[in-house]
Amino acid sequence: MEEIKKIRTVCRSCHGGCGVIAHVKNGKVFKIEGDPSSPISYGTMCSKGLAITQIAYHPDRILHPMKKGPKGWEQITWDEALDTISDKFKKVVEKYGPESLLVGQGTGRDYESYFSRFGNLLGTPNTLTAGHMCYLSRIGASLVTCGRFPVCDYAGEPKCIVLWAVNPLWSNPDEYKGVSFWRAYKKGAKLVVIDPRKSFYTKKADLWLQVRPGTDAALAMGFFNVIIEEELYDKDFVANYIHGWEPFRERVLGEYSLDRVEEITWVDKEHIREAARLYAATKPAAIHWGVPTEQTINCTDFTRTAIGLMAATGNLDAPGGNVFHVPPPVRTVSQFSRHEALTPEMKKKRLGGDQYKLGARMTFITPKVAWDAILQEKPYPLKAGIFVGTNPLITEANAKDIYAALKKLEFFAVADFFMTPTAELADIFLPAGTWLEQNHMAENWKFHGYVLARQKVVEIGECWQDHKIFLELGKRMGQEWWPTVEDAIEWLLEPTGVTWEQFKQKGYLKGNMEYYKYRGKGFSTPTRKVELFSTTLDGWGRDPLPKYVEIPESPVSRPDLAKKYPYILNAGLRTPNFFHSANRQVPWLREIRPDPIVEIHPETAKKHGIKEMDWVWIESPRGRVKEKAKLNDGIDPRVVVAEHGWWYPEIKDEGHGWDISNINILTDDSYESMDPVMGATNLRVLLCNISRCDEGQEARS
Amino acid sequence: MKNFSLTILKEDCCGCHSCEVACKQEHNLGVGPRLIRVIEKSPLFIPVYCRHCAKPPCKDACPVDAISRNNGIVLINEEICIGCRECVTACPFGAMQFDDSRETAVKCDLCMERIKEGNAPACSLICPTGCIIWGTTETLLDRAGIK
Repeated sequence: MEEIKKIRTVCRSCHGGCGVIAHVKNGKVFKIEGDPSSPISYGTMCSKGLAITQIAYHPDRILHPMKKGPKGWEQITWDEALDTISDKFKKVVEKYGPESLLVGQGTGRDYESYFSRFGNLLGTPNTLTAGHMCYLSRIGASLVTCGRFPVCDYAGEPKCIVLWAVNPLWSNPDEYKGVSFWRAYKKGAKLVVIDPRKSFYTKKADLWLQVRPGTDAALAMGFFNVIIEEELYDKDFVANYIHGWEPFRERVLGEYSLDRVEEITWVDKEHIREAARLYAATKPAAIHWGVPTEQTINCTDFTRTAIGLMAATGNLDAPGGNVFHVPPPVRTVSQFSRHEALTPEMKKKRLGGDQYKLGARMTFITPKVAWDAILQEKPYPLKAGIFVGTNPLITEANAKDIYAALKKLEFFAVADFFMTPTAELADIFLPAGTWLEQNHMAENWKFHGYVLARQKVVEIGECWQDHKIFLELGKRMGQEWWPTVEDAIEWLLEPTGVTWEQFKQKGYLKGNMEYYKYRGKGFSTPTRKVELFSTTLDGWGRDPLPKYVEIPESPVSRPDLAKKYPYILNAGLRTPNFFHSANRQVPWLREIRPDPIVEIHPETAKKHGIKEMDWVWIESPRGRVKEKAKLNDGIDPRVVVAEHGWWYPEIKDEGHGWDISNINILTDDSYESMDPVMGATNLRVLLCNISRCDEGQEARS
Repeated sequence: MKNFSLTILKEDCCGCHSCEVACKQEHNLGVGPRLIRVIEKSPLFIPVYCRHCAKPPCKDACPVDAISRNNGIVLINEEICIGCRECVTACPFGAMQFDDSRETAVKCDLCMERIKEGNAPACSLICPTGCIIWGTTETLLDRAGIK
């Protein structure tokens, strides 16, 4: 009997980075445990990470490259798969130019640097991600405001924490796992929670502000109104380090009285006052904010206002506030990505680049412009592409258009674990490795001051880690890469003097943290100050000051539409067991959450004759889907909250039920609904109506 | 060996269900039996788990004496179990489970093998809020911050 090997690595079942001990016997992982020595997860793990064995060894997992032939999918070799893709790409480059190639990823399996390098060396500016409305938008808006991304400093022990549109123990663990929040909270930090739903956190909170979905930017202005009127700001910081305080102050006092903010946000003005006082008067205080703030037209301006709050209260780069962590001296994602290799001519051709200049700065395109370029061939057509670890048919706005676009795209390849509804529309399927099958310097793109050693535990079938797929395909396209993924890691590590072997032993590298780095050298912005008045946006002819814009599809902006669709749909409810569209085929996880859930207030449900666990039609101007009702008196009766990411792997036809419960059939991606400088599409807030499914309509298919 | 027990500080359960998956993995269980389970009643989370009762109704209900209690841990001997489900009905907490594939009742064993080696039960180890506490009566009160 072979002995049990215990291998230390790093999870990636979500954006995670939690430390893991994988137990291996006879070449197979049979058990996953949390690694108590992890400096960011301390031995805790979530259900998604623990269930990786059921993903890696799932009977439906595709373990060989495939191509779609006349009789359906058939197994091919890696050589044939990569040659087919590179031949097609070369033909497209020759005939239409490299800009007609689309390189897409989803939320990523920690291969962002490979993805960008591949796109840049391919010569296409059209790299597509969810970044415009998820995380990268936060970073983009931070860069123009204060030069770097300010992260909640839990290690510095905040005395007041504002959880703004986030459930840190369930999801969104980019810089910190929920356990860091929890430890700080348990040490006695005051807690302010901003959430349209009553939750675990609202029960713990000193103050809960039940905000109307999509109005966070107005609420942030309300905070500022109190802080300015009551002079709760750090006068020294404001005088020396904020650019544009006076015009901003004027706008806040002139346009965002607490009465108006209450009217917009539905939050009692006295609660706003109390929350603003608590945040401003408690030192240090930190804001931990989540993705719903980014998925509307106010994407950029919410981030800018939130950073303004951190700055004006003296909490920016202060211990226990929102800080700029210092990374270890490894080579960066940006250096790896070779952005300089993309010519200025090509950069000019980036789809949507002229319109969404802030988004374009992050080097990606927003999904809407990709689908339009395919469907309308304007300003030029996209002809072929590759999608790695993404299921846009389920996870991006206005799914019906995406279906039409993917159908029309001449040729595309996907790299994934399973035959998803998106993969079914492809021409080539490349079997990707899970995090158990990866060697990588993990989390190099994050802003928490660590890089982590993710080491390969097993190999399964013919699956390749995504990094190797980009590297080998890149070489076939004549690009400059390292011989192996491991050589690339050595290159990243070189400035530290640590080898890959030593890195694996250490488990992680950490930068040396320093606070108050702006003292002396200022912030990395054009004025060297925190720019509440953005000189960058001003230069682009945009409003240089942050503001709140009414959601284009709301009862306020569209009372006409609200007659037919009277409820605000808060789409994209997260669960702790699924990661976006992933995991629906994992037995341990699906048992916990067998059905897609729509939350409805009991009074609202009663009006429509809906009872707990009834199937419910949710309808918007774009279409209708069904989810199962869960009554929740912790939401506003005017709001309906629905889970996202649903398809049905157990339905074996090629659609896999992509249009049954997919909330993004309902979401809107019209240009009017998008953030004007970032290009964020609205995945969150729209109008809907509900009705009980009639008998015979309950079944999933 | 002293008496061991496990308890969950309900108000700190955040509803992540990690304990459920950790338990299934530790006990090689598929879909069906859930030795620990969190019921969601927004915004409340209600953990359902074995209390290892001093006077276990499951033990009293068992017609073949397959259930015993030692060191505070209530165990079922699956070799003796005849699969009659009397214990499942008797348990006031809904903690006693039935495994269709093995056709026996199954239950929490407090990860006895792990405890013997000085390790925390699987559910307790991974809990992000530390709301699953275990130990002897003395250490339990200590960990709950009650003592």
